[in-house]
Amino acid sequence: MSEPYIVLDGLRKEYGRTVAVDGLSMSIHRGRIFGFLGANGAGKTTCIRLLCGLTRPTGGQAWIGGRDVWHDRLQVRLQFGYVAQKFSLYPDLSVLENLRFFGGACRLSPGESVRRAETLVDLMGLHSKREAAASSLSGGMKQLLAMACALVHSPPLLFLDEPTSGLDPVNRQQIWNLLYDLANSGTTIFVTTHYMDEADRCTEVGFLHKGRLLAKESPKNLKHMFREQLLELEVDPVMPALACLRREAGVLDAVLRGGRVRLYSEHPADLLAGWRRQWPYPDLHWTGHRWVDADMEDVFLACSHGFDQLLTRTAP
Amino acid sequence: MNIRSNFRGIACVARKELLHIWRDKRIMVLILVLPPFFTFLFGHAFETNTPRDVAAILQDRDQSAASKRFVTKIAADKTFAWRFQAANPPCDENLVRQNVQAILVIPEGWENGLENGRPVPLQLVVDGSDTTTAAALEGILRQNLGDFQSAALDRMIKGLPPEVVRLGALLPVNVRDEFTSAMTPWAVNSRILYNPQLKFIDYVMPGVIGLILQMLTVTLTACTITRERETGTLYQLMVTSLRRWEIVIGKVLPYLGVSLVLIALTVAVAWLHFGVHFQQPLVLALICLLFLLSSLGMGLLISSFSETQTQAIQFAVFYLLPVLPLSGAFAPLSQLPENIRPISNLFGLTHFCHAFRLINLNGAPFSYIVNDLLLLTLGAVLTCGGAALLLRRTQQ
Repeated sequence: MSEPYIVLDGLRKEYGRTVAVDGLSMSIHRGRIFGFLGANGAGKTTCIRLLCGLTRPTGGQAWIGGRDVWHDRLQVRLQFGYVAQKFSLYPDLSVLENLRFFGGACRLSPGESVRRAETLVDLMGLHSKREAAASSLSGGMKQLLAMACALVHSPPLLFLDEPTSGLDPVNRQQIWNLLYDLANSGTTIFVTTHYMDEADRCTEVGFLHKGRLLAKESPKNLKHMFREQLLELEVDPVMPALACLRREAGVLDAVLRGGRVRLYSEHPADLLAGWRRQWPYPDLHWTGHRWVDADMEDVFLACSHGFDQLLTRTAP
Repeated sequence: MNIRSNFRGIACVARKELLHIWRDKRIMVLILVLPPFFTFLFGHAFETNTPRDVAAILQDRDQSAASKRFVTKIAADKTFAWRFQAANPPCDENLVRQNVQAILVIPEGWENGLENGRPVPLQLVVDGSDTTTAAALEGILRQNLGDFQSAALDRMIKGLPPEVVRLGALLPVNVRDEFTSAMTPWAVNSRILYNPQLKFIDYVMPGVIGLILQMLTVTLTACTITRERETGTLYQLMVTSLRRWEIVIGKVLPYLGVSLVLIALTVAVAWLHFGVHFQQPLVLALICLLFLLSSLGMGLLISSFSETQTQAIQFAVFYLLPVLPLSGAFAPLSQLPENIRPISNLFGLTHFCHAFRLINLNGAPFSYIVNDLLLLTLGAVLTCGGAALLLRRTQQ
C-alpha cells in the first residue's frame, strides 16, 4: 500500500470549553472515497475546516500530501477543491463567470480558466445554462456547478460537505457517478454525509461521534461490527407495539423498518424464547418474526447511542 | 508565489467585483446619476451663505419725509422680504404669531428727533433662536442706518448757511482739520485675497464633492465583504489560495475606478454649471485619490467586522454621522472649539477639504499639504490593512 495521502494525528479543536474535535487520528489513502459519518454537531464540519486550514487546530497536527494543513495552508489549498454544505457561489454571476473566477482564484491563467470552464460545463451537463445566472439554476444544477468550481484547478483531493442534502435521487445518483469517475481517475474524495445509503457507496467510512472517531472501516466491515443478527417482529397493530417494546426490559431500543419492529438487544434469542413461552401483550397480535443483517443505519444508531454491548470492539 | 500570480489573483477578484457592480443595474444608475445631481442640488443650496428674503414686518409710525426715505432705502435690500404695516395700531411683537423673524418699528417723532438733537432709536425685534440670522439681520440694519446717516450728514454739510462757513474759517487750522476728519466717515481699505468676489460656492465645493464621495464610497464598500459573508462565498474564497491582501486590493480597485468617474462627473458639474475653477489639477487629483483610498478602506474595514449587511450599513451611518458636522466641509474648522479639533483630524474628509482648499483657493505650494496627504495615506493603509486582518473571521 502506498503512503497515506491525508494523515491526522491527534487533531483537536476547542471553542472555549466545547471540544468540537477531540484528538482525531486516522489516515486516508489516495483514490479512496472516504465517507465521514456522524450526527449533526458531531464535529464533521469543524474537521473539514481544520483540514482546509480555515481554523487553527488547538492540538495535534494534520498533513495533506505531506504538507501541514495549518502552516502550509496556502500550498495545501492548491491541492484540494471544497464544496460547501450551503450553496456558496456568486448568484449574480453566470455559470461560466463563476467557473472563471474560481479558476483565477486558484491561480490558473485566464486562458486556462476559460478552457477548464468550458470542459467542466460540458462534463457537468450545464452547457445549455452556461450564460445563465447561478441563482437561476435548480438545486441539482447548483450543486453540479459548485462541484465544477471546486474541480476547476484539477485538484487531487475533493472535500464535499453533505453534497447531496436536499437533492432528488436522480441528482444524487448523477453526483455519485461523478465522484466514482473522479475516484477512478485517482482523485481522493472526502465526503461528509448523514445519508446511510450514501455511506454505503464509500470505499471507507469514518464514524464520528462527539468529536471522536468511533470506527473507520469499509461499509461491509462496519456492518459486521454487530455481534449477532437483529430480531424483527411482525406485530399488529404496529405503532402501540413499538411503544410497548421500546420499554421492554432487555431492549435497548426499537425502530420501525418496513412495517416490522426491529429490536436492538444484547440477547435477542433469550427475549424471543421468553415471548414464545408467554406473550405479555394480550392486545397486540404477534404474527411472526425474522432475523436480519445489520445495515449502515443500525451501525449509525448503535454507535451514536453507545450500544457497545451490541458491537464487537473492533471490526473483524 | 511570484508577483505575476499575485497580480492574477487581484485581477480576478477585481473583475468579479466589477461584474457585481455591472449586474446590479439599479445601483449602478444611482451611482452615476445621484452624485452629479447632488452636486447640482447642494451647489445651489450653498451658493451663498448670507440670509435672503427673511420675512419681516416694517411699521412706519412716523410717516415723515425722513422715515419714508429710510423705508425706500431699506426696502431695496434683498435680505428682507418686508411686510408693511399701517402706522396704527402698535404692532404685535409676537414673532411666532406674526410668522416673521424680525419686526422693525420707526417710532413716532423719529424725524423730529433727528432734527432737534434728541434722536429716538429705531425699534428692532429679532428672533434669536437662529443665532446666525439674528446677528446678520442686526448688522445689515445698522449698516443701512449708517449709510442713511452719512447721506444725511453730506446733505447737511452741503446745505450749511454761508455764515457758518465764514465762522468756521475763523477757527484755528488744527481744530478745523480735526473737525473735518470727524465729519468724514472713517474707512478700512481692505484687499480680499484668494476669493476676491467672496463666492461661497468656491469655498464650499470641495466640501460638497468630498461629502458625496465619502457617503457613497463608505456605504458601497461596507457591504462587499459582508455580502460574501452572508452568502457563504467568503468561506469559499478563503479555501482558495487567494491571500487576504489580494482580496482586499482586488475589492478596492473597481470601486476606486467607479469613484474616479464620480469625481470627474461632480467636478464637471462644479466647473461647467457653477463656474468653479480648479487650479493645479494634478495635485488635486492626488488629493482625491488618497482621500478615496482612505474612504474605501474605511468601508472595507466596516465590512470586515460586520456580521450582516444590515449591521454594516448601521456602522457606516454611525461613522458618517460625526463626519458631517466635524469635518469642516460646509463651515470653517475655526468655528469648532480647540478641544474638538483633534477629533476632526481623525476624518479623511477634514484633510481632503483642507488640502483641496489650500491648493485650489489659496494656490499654496505642495509642501503645505504634505501633512494632510501623509495622514490620508496612513488612513488608507490602516483601514485596508485592518480589513485584511479581520477578513480571516468567517462565520462559524
